[in-house]
Amino acid sequence: MKIEVEKLKKTYQGVMVLNIDRLTIKAGKITAIVGPNGAGKSTLLNLIAELIQKDDGKIWYNGEEKVPVKDITLVFQEPYLIASTVKKNIAYPMKLRNYSKEAIETKIQRLSMELRLEPLLNKKANQLSLGEVQKVALARALSFEPKLLLLDEPCASIDPYTTSEIEKMLMKMNQSEGTTMVMVTHNLAQARRLADEVVLLKKGKLVECCSSEQFFMHPENEETKLFVEGELLI
Amino acid sequence: MNIIIEGIKEAFRLIFSLDAEVFEVVLLSLRVSLTSLLVAGMLGIFLGILIAKYRFPMKHLLMRLIYTLMGMPPVLCGLLVYIFFMRRGPLGSLRLNYTVTIMIIAQILMILPIITGLTINAAGEKQDKINRLAKTLGAGPLQTMELFLFELRGGLVVALVSGFSRAISEVGAVMIVGGNIDGKTRVMTTYISQLKGMGEYERALAVGIILLIISFAVNTILYHFQREKSG
Repeated sequence: MKIEVEKLKKTYQGVMVLNIDRLTIKAGKITAIVGPNGAGKSTLLNLIAELIQKDDGKIWYNGEEKVPVKDITLVFQEPYLIASTVKKNIAYPMKLRNYSKEAIETKIQRLSMELRLEPLLNKKANQLSLGEVQKVALARALSFEPKLLLLDEPCASIDPYTTSEIEKMLMKMNQSEGTTMVMVTHNLAQARRLADEVVLLKKGKLVECCSSEQFFMHPENEETKLFVEGELLI
Repeated sequence: MNIIIEGIKEAFRLIFSLDAEVFEVVLLSLRVSLTSLLVAGMLGIFLGILIAKYRFPMKHLLMRLIYTLMGMPPVLCGLLVYIFFMRRGPLGSLRLNYTVTIMIIAQILMILPIITGLTINAAGEKQDKINRLAKTLGAGPLQTMELFLFELRGGLVVALVSGFSRAISEVGAVMIVGGNIDGKTRVMTTYISQLKGMGEYERALAVGIILLIISFAVNTILYHFQREKSG
């Protein structure tokens, strides 16, 4: 799903937190949104998911202004799981879309196998570790094969092994289903491993949007160079 | 101490002898309180979720008003309902005073703020997370409401139990609007009050014990329902 943003503005209590003139997120690609704290990364993600209202500007989803709510989803840094079992959590969005019982069961088996969630399927959400919660939230988000997957620091505060499992799953879904993914991350190494495109934001403004290779290997913008070298802190 | 022991004995005697007078009073109490609970429960939970879910002007003032009404004395509630429905009152033509219907209305008005307030309270910090989850997974308005009911079930049971406990145990409102008419509007609490006035302490205590047993049974059923839904 191609996302186009034009003259997008958002203020909080009179302070401009996002002001992007133009940005295009390519369909079928993984795009990482990076930037220092307070750059407006999560605000952009929330605006795309329409969890918050924009003050001005436009967002197009495959050329349409209407948000395709059934085709997009967002996984948060600290996901909220329904107070039930892992299995019921993964099944929930499929039930909302009237999947058959067999289809739900097949999908749960496949996702739980790929994310190594099988031993947890009958566990309650409150019995899971942070990494397990994140994997369940990801399985739940992928269960209905969204066209656009938004991820807000999905691997922050989880161990490297689980991070690697999640990254592999994201790559696989992107390649096999062509799912467009937009991921906010503070982890530049992760952005480099996963992303086709990288967007750098600073103080709510777009600094650069280019291919991952260009961003990390041949950055043209001076601020991008500083950011990649770890010197652009604010 | 002797009165209490005699009261307990009398309670069991009344239960096992199926005392007609007491059973009539118990059944009417249950009819009034459960009907009030059903209406106020549906309305209060719906309103509570709506208030918690949406932002609108004067929301905090409305919440403070609801919290204030949660503590409204039953006798005042009864008095207001009575005035509204007395012959010279705005709804006097309905001739509802001293009927079971008016007792139910009074109890609905009394427990509605309790159930609404406790529902808002149960939603608390969770409501933003539930809203976001519903939206990001593509739930429609009805599905979102269903998700709220499921996620808040623990708090909602507490709200319903509190509402029922208040309804079954209050005496002021039903006494004023119902009048404690024998065979017509007499419920357990007004009966206890009357028995006390007549000096029949053992029987009054016995009815009180039956009231507690019923309250315990209803609460047990509600908690059981909550645990089943969680599983």
